[in-house]
Amino acid sequence: MAGVEVRNIYKSFGPVEVIHGIDVEIADKELVVLVGPSGCGKSTLLRMIAGLEDITAGEISIGDTVVNRVAAKDRNIAMVFQSYALYPHMTVYRNMSFGLRMRKIPKDEQDRRIRWAAEVLELTDYLKRYPRQLSGGQRQRVAMGRALVREPIAFLFDEPLSNLDAQLRVQMRTEIRELHQRLQTTMIYVTHDQVEAMTLADRIVVMRDGYIEQVGAPGHVYDRPANTFVAGFIGSPQMNLLPGTLGPDGTIALEGGVTVRHTESLAAEAGRNVLYGIRPEDLQLVGEGEGIAFGVDVVETTGREIELFGTLGARRVCVLLQARAEVRPGETVWINPDPERAHVFDAESGVRLDAAGQG
Amino acid sequence: MTATRVRKFDGGTWLADAPVGLWTLARWAGTAAVVLFFIFPMIFMLMVSFKTQPDIASGGLIPEEWFWQNYPDAWNSVAVGTYLRNSIVAATLGALVTLVIAVPATHAIVRYRVGGKFLPAFILATYVAPPIVALFPLFFLLRSIGLVNTLFGMALVYGVMNLPVAFWLLSSFVRRLPEELEDAARIDGAGYGSVLLRITVPLLMPGIISTGIICLILAYNEFLLASFLTRSESTQTLPVGLSLYQGDRQLRYGQMSVASLIGIVPVYLLAMFFQRWLIRGLTAGSTR
Repeated sequence: MAGVEVRNIYKSFGPVEVIHGIDVEIADKELVVLVGPSGCGKSTLLRMIAGLEDITAGEISIGDTVVNRVAAKDRNIAMVFQSYALYPHMTVYRNMSFGLRMRKIPKDEQDRRIRWAAEVLELTDYLKRYPRQLSGGQRQRVAMGRALVREPIAFLFDEPLSNLDAQLRVQMRTEIRELHQRLQTTMIYVTHDQVEAMTLADRIVVMRDGYIEQVGAPGHVYDRPANTFVAGFIGSPQMNLLPGTLGPDGTIALEGGVTVRHTESLAAEAGRNVLYGIRPEDLQLVGEGEGIAFGVDVVETTGREIELFGTLGARRVCVLLQARAEVRPGETVWINPDPERAHVFDAESGVRLDAAGQG
Repeated sequence: MTATRVRKFDGGTWLADAPVGLWTLARWAGTAAVVLFFIFPMIFMLMVSFKTQPDIASGGLIPEEWFWQNYPDAWNSVAVGTYLRNSIVAATLGALVTLVIAVPATHAIVRYRVGGKFLPAFILATYVAPPIVALFPLFFLLRSIGLVNTLFGMALVYGVMNLPVAFWLLSSFVRRLPEELEDAARIDGAGYGSVLLRITVPLLMPGIISTGIICLILAYNEFLLASFLTRSESTQTLPVGLSLYQGDRQLRYGQMSVASLIGIVPVYLLAMFFQRWLIRGLTAGSTR
């Protein structure tokens, strides 16, 4: 059991620098999710922690040991790959025992661990099969089992669920969370799926273009995104971001002549160009004339929720309604943004204009 | 139009009887023509092996009378059996030498970019030079280690001679292996040697076998180096042996054809035996 510390890490492939000095501290027994769009450097960072990529500059420690010069095979970590990377010429049993054989674990101990992992992952009936004889979900479980039996000091997951269908993905997500609670081992999980990140993580690390944009608990990142990138990336449907000008007394004059309120303490900044952010679920339907007029163009129903797309002031906006409502395209409804839930970002830098947001 | 009905094979299982159209028949005819084109020299050689010397001189495909005597004569006048054995030993050992060097080398060059861009290009460039260039250096090198006129010396020469071909063939197989399998093995605690022996080599087996067979055939057919580097019946290979049917006054074509046919048999058996093995895709089911 050990934490992982990443200190001022750089990575270049030839002349191209892809990670530009990153610091992350992952506590013992913590489940941290690295999330970001493809090409943001999250997989590269994970592979550096695993020892599969060289570190250009900086330091990575696992436990109390700096592992920069420790080979992957000696780091005692386990990894689950996106492609599963099962050894095709070995049975499920041999796949799981490979890491144990490499570490010269006694035969009966190998067998005990494999039986246990197979039990946990419901693979007992498949131990004699080859990977090609298994379904995608089963292969995924074998990949997990191979990591599990190792009893490593940390688990690394590189988009392990991307090749599964939607239903199986949700199921496996829960199982990974359960597994973490049961094993109490450090886990680092890479995904581009923000829903996966939100549901799994103790803490989320949002990355973009080789930089860390924000680190925090899922709720915190959701409620107080550090900048417009995080605001837009985390949450589905996306947060609405509307350009406007900061006025006195907690008001913002949006493009198109609409004025909204916020509760951030930014009175001194009056006159500044800002982006006003409001999540679709923080816009409530109100009675006619009580709020802001909103012309509905498209209505999408998911069964549980209704998404309304339309124009507010001069911009396209999404409104998410939890309750059933009879709204038709072409209608005008009245909505009220919750000032407590409003976010204000600098128009140029995109940075949140409330110092507390960085916490 | 349906001319006849046949059972169709989809690569894995036989499908139910399916009607055969004109297009299928045309394709069969085309295939037959191509096969005939390539097999014709063999047929011609088979016919020559049944002809008398004057009959050969007069041309024509079918023998005027079937002359069986070439077969015992071919065997008795030249030590075909010994040459055949020598060829098989030198070629097999040579192919093994090639593989033992080429498999780890190709893996290192392709996976870890050992030698950068220069080494792969250089390896292939050596193959462009005509083999006769290497004749004298090889002779003196072999002589200095006492391996001239030995089968082991020939195996060594063949082993090195076919390295570029083996590298070229194997590199495409190595490239097709998913890199993540080796990553997974490294994380599971395997060092370079273990990864190579336990993961890479088993998965490369189809490539290794087909490369081995090709190298074996190249060595088996080699004439120039063998004729120069071996001198006695106990070490000369079949291609050299075949040249000995040239008598003082005439070439004994009939007997030569017989010996050639005998020489072809091992290669054909080899190709037929491994054919099924080669098409079996070992990597199925490993990823995704």
